[in-house]
Amino acid sequence: MDLLRFIAPQRSAHAHCDIPCGVYDPAQARIEAESCYRIIEKYHASDDEVFRTRAIAVKEERADLVKHHIDVLWHDYFKPEHVEKYPDLHDTCWKAAKAASSVKHSVDLDDATNLLSLIDQIDEMWKGSGGPEKTRM
Amino acid sequence: MIRRTLRSWGARAEVIGDSMRPRLRAGDWLLVDPEANVSRAPAVGDLVLVPDPREPARLLIKRVSEVYEGGQELWVTGDAHDATTDSDSFGSVSASTVVGRPWFRYWPPSRLGRVA
Repeated sequence: MDLLRFIAPQRSAHAHCDIPCGVYDPAQARIEAESCYRIIEKYHASDDEVFRTRAIAVKEERADLVKHHIDVLWHDYFKPEHVEKYPDLHDTCWKAAKAASSVKHSVDLDDATNLLSLIDQIDEMWKGSGGPEKTRM
Repeated sequence: MIRRTLRSWGARAEVIGDSMRPRLRAGDWLLVDPEANVSRAPAVGDLVLVPDPREPARLLIKRVSEVYEGGQELWVTGDAHDATTDSDSFGSVSASTVVGRPWFRYWPPSRLGRVA
């Protein structure tokens, strides 16, 4: 045992994992944005004031989740190297967050469509930066 | 070889954590060549010991997965992709901060051998 103590390393090499474990996917934002799109469709198709009021409330909630998911990708997943590769990364994330706000304000399907297309642009950068291999199991 | 072993002995390190599984396990004792950078620049696939950019007093063991800016910057990742915190979280590390290259496991005896 003395020998073991003698040969034991004096220092540690951390092969560690923080929590959160770095799972990111724009699909999260996309699903919530699709919900917004469908809710707006149903809102326009309904004459029921109670239903319409509920639709607005749920849309508000979902659009807020979209913003949250975009922010997490923007702040936590994307790195300076990715901005180098995709110079419009910041602008796209910023526009997407703004578009999510627009979806909160309005019941215009065009706003929801615009949000979806911006999320798809973020998705392309995520895929192009190796996101699926690096962050998903 | 003998000189390399001697200088690596002084820089030996114990693996803590599971992010380098299955190649390295928690509790493995490694010889770390502190002069590895002198003989040649870090290359893709190398194991490296680098200070955690967020907490420089803590050394991380990771594998180089990309080298860029003329070898000045390294992208380091864990082998266990679902259980690692690495450049995907804290960005690239400067090649000049590399403390050494682990190359030989001397403990446990059942897993004795080269790791690089």
